[in-house]
Amino acid sequence: MDLNDVIGYALRIGVIISVILIIIGFILLIPNPKFSELESPHSRFNTSVIKPEQVLYGSFKGNGLDLILLGLMVLIATPVLRVILGVIQFTLEKNKIYTVITIIVLFNLLLAIFIIPLIVK
Amino acid sequence: MIDPTFLLELLIASIIAGFIGALTGLGGATVLVPIYTLFLAIPIAYATGASLISTIATSSGAASAYIKDRITNVRIGMSLEIATTAGAIIGSLIAHIVYEDHLEFILFIIFGIVILSSLYPQIEKASLELPRNMKPDWSTRLFQLYGKYYDATLRQIVEYQGVRWWLGEIVMFFAGMVSGLLGIGSGALKVVGMDWAMNLPLKVSTTTSNFMIGVTAATSSSLYWIFGYIEPVLAGVTAIGVLIGSYLGSKALVRIRNVRLRLIFIAILLFLGIDMIIRGVTLWI
Repeated sequence: MDLNDVIGYALRIGVIISVILIIIGFILLIPNPKFSELESPHSRFNTSVIKPEQVLYGSFKGNGLDLILLGLMVLIATPVLRVILGVIQFTLEKNKIYTVITIIVLFNLLLAIFIIPLIVK
Repeated sequence: MIDPTFLLELLIASIIAGFIGALTGLGGATVLVPIYTLFLAIPIAYATGASLISTIATSSGAASAYIKDRITNVRIGMSLEIATTAGAIIGSLIAHIVYEDHLEFILFIIFGIVILSSLYPQIEKASLELPRNMKPDWSTRLFQLYGKYYDATLRQIVEYQGVRWWLGEIVMFFAGMVSGLLGIGSGALKVVGMDWAMNLPLKVSTTTSNFMIGVTAATSSSLYWIFGYIEPVLAGVTAIGVLIGSYLGSKALVRIRNVRLRLIFIAILLFLGIDMIIRGVTLWI
């Protein structure tokens, strides 16, 4: 099993975890009276009002909506993990130019996730 | 009261979008956003937010299958991600301005134009199974733009060499920008960048594009998250539906010949592109 396989499995496992979280979230959420409001295409509830630490706390308490959100966060994290594994892969292959290239890609991703939100908000 | 019909509609629409997205390398979103906005009356901000999430699901879900097939060129994909992620950041910020100023009609029109403009290179080369040979240039060696794969329909090993990395990179910056602006994986433009600019075989372009769109969409969607364009219930259903569809699509991809793939491509794009422009103009007037 080479690193390409590891990367393939890592992505797949990430997606599976995310799907399981989302499905459990839906099962817990559907009996909730708030659901019909959330389900509306014009729902006012969206990700701008969410705090990541609340999502984690709510998920442990079995809040369906937080589990769905956690699933979505895991999904967004899979490509980030993929790029990190890419850096490791090219380093091990001693492919210098591609190690640098992949680090630049990772930098762009982290810029979008952590730095720009601080500036925009 | 819950409306199960609407949930079911969402699920079916997203399965169809995922199937076509994986088959064409477009990413489910190019089909999903028109269906959601034109037929299910979902606001375009939420439609694009959900479709970005689904794009990540498509890409990550199919990646392991493609890596196993050894058609995806991970190096070429990664080198082009520099431009797509940078473009995605710019595009998402522009999208934010557009929504703040309620200029959504612009996005419909651009969406339609982007779809239709990706038609031309497809029609032009529709008769060719494999790209013409081109002389390798400086970028071929520096960025290691070569590879080979076994083509199951042609029953032969195809060796290829990419050229004009810089041109690919420019196209990819715009692909990333469009991705951030319209909430799509921008797979069509990525395929254009690799297929037309870099002279790579269509199967390499589509699979590598499918690999790339996840990283691009993750960049855009983390910004969309902050802006509040992701509605969790909608995005959750969409992600699952598109995953199911893309799984089926990736199974079908290896069995379909390139020429037929292009024809499916063209018909769907034509229809959706025209519809999006009509909607945009209607909103404008």
